[in-house]
Amino acid sequence: MATGYSVVLVRHAQSEFNRDKIYTGWCDSDLTSDGVEEAKNAGKILCEYGFEFDLAFTSVLKRAIKTLYFIQDELDCHWIPVTKTWLLNERHSGKLQGRSKVEVLEQYGQEQVHRWNHALHEQPPPLAETDEHWNGNDKRYAGLPFAPVGESLQQTLQRSLQFWHNLVVPALKAGQKPLICGHGCYLRNLLKHLDSNCSTGKKQLETPNAAPFVLHLDSDMRPANLQFLNRHGNDIVLFKRSRDS
Amino acid sequence: MEARYTLVLLRHGESHYTQKNLFCGFGNDADLSDIGVREAALAGQRILKAGLEFDLAFTSVLKRAVKTLFLVQETLDCHWLPVVRTWRLNERHYGDLQGLSKTETAKKYGEAQVKTWRRSYDVRPPVLDKKDPRFCSSMAPYRDLDPSIIPVCESLKDTMERMLPFWHDEIAPKIKTGKRVLIIAHGNSLRGLMKYLKRLSDEEITKLEIPQAIPLVLELSENLQPIRDYYLASEEEVKTAKAKVGVKDNVK
Repeated sequence: MATGYSVVLVRHAQSEFNRDKIYTGWCDSDLTSDGVEEAKNAGKILCEYGFEFDLAFTSVLKRAIKTLYFIQDELDCHWIPVTKTWLLNERHSGKLQGRSKVEVLEQYGQEQVHRWNHALHEQPPPLAETDEHWNGNDKRYAGLPFAPVGESLQQTLQRSLQFWHNLVVPALKAGQKPLICGHGCYLRNLLKHLDSNCSTGKKQLETPNAAPFVLHLDSDMRPANLQFLNRHGNDIVLFKRSRDS
Repeated sequence: MEARYTLVLLRHGESHYTQKNLFCGFGNDADLSDIGVREAALAGQRILKAGLEFDLAFTSVLKRAVKTLFLVQETLDCHWLPVVRTWRLNERHYGDLQGLSKTETAKKYGEAQVKTWRRSYDVRPPVLDKKDPRFCSSMAPYRDLDPSIIPVCESLKDTMERMLPFWHDEIAPKIKTGKRVLIIAHGNSLRGLMKYLKRLSDEEITKLEIPQAIPLVLELSENLQPIRDYYLASEEEVKTAKAKVGVKDNVK
């Protein structure tokens, strides 16, 4: 009987923009010193649980890349192949990037901000080429199939699912154990978008910075179980599929 | 001949084994020392000052090289660079000498013998027994490799034979598409590459020392032949760095 698969995911540790409550998106905000410690702790947790990985995936944003590095340091696995892809970037928040969340809330109101966070097709105001946070000339995005003006939730999920199906699923089927270090937007919506029948009882998963979780999949690649790993052994199991569903 | 491409080579910073003057080699995954960490950051500064940028980096599966690369990327603010890790860029395998003190080995076998093992082209060190716990086949980075290709000892010639296919298949083609490449590796994997690129004789290579953590820039022709090569440091700095890790006679 096939035993299914498991993949470990973790949101990057605290960045400077997280700390200052600023919309980050594709801005390449660095880890804070607290964030570095968080990342190391995430690595320690994974080490205590005896996790080993064959490969890792992350975005092209340094807050995720560096979180992964510190985790690898704790796990002593700097040798594993690391694939960096913009498909795993945080959602591009358009003109909101670099702006204080408090100011944006004041300017646009709670209802609009809620729509941006939850409505699938709602676009943020577009980022202009003349904006200081414009990424269009950044070498790492050479060959990007669209101009980086901002993304809806749907667009973000579409590309993260593209990553999932093209890179993660083949790795899992080949018997590999991947580690994914990514960003809040698609991690919060991952479960629901892998299988719309999954539910944790809340609209979105809460994904604190640098809190690793294990997603167990059945032999058909459907989510079967999701657990946040806790240092003291009392893991939080947020979702468990019953055998009949 | 006009230079068409620029390639940068960098030997990793000081490791704990360098500090203790031990044979490190292929099978020992020594970490950077505190000095090594500073050296790596300084190497990044030198590259930044020279205005060099990259599209792609290659390194070994040994953490002293991987972490040197991370520290260089930190200085250059290019963590997004694709990085390819390969065991083929690992340091030379020093066989049964791995982990032993260079001084004690010289006392036991004589300085001349140790110099021959360290710097000759095709003399192998004593073979490591496959039953020895230092044999790499059970170590994570090599578990999926055919055990028959995992080294038990290597001459520089052997190191080149397992390194050069990677150069030809993976690195050279990328350079020829215009990718600006950084290679962070080890003393002997880089000596081997230099021997090949500069067509050094078996005698000439015995005299080549590559210092730790000083970037070496190669300006290459259309056919990837070095037209010029230079370190991003003063002659004095290079000489001091070579003296630290090199064979005494080679650094006067």
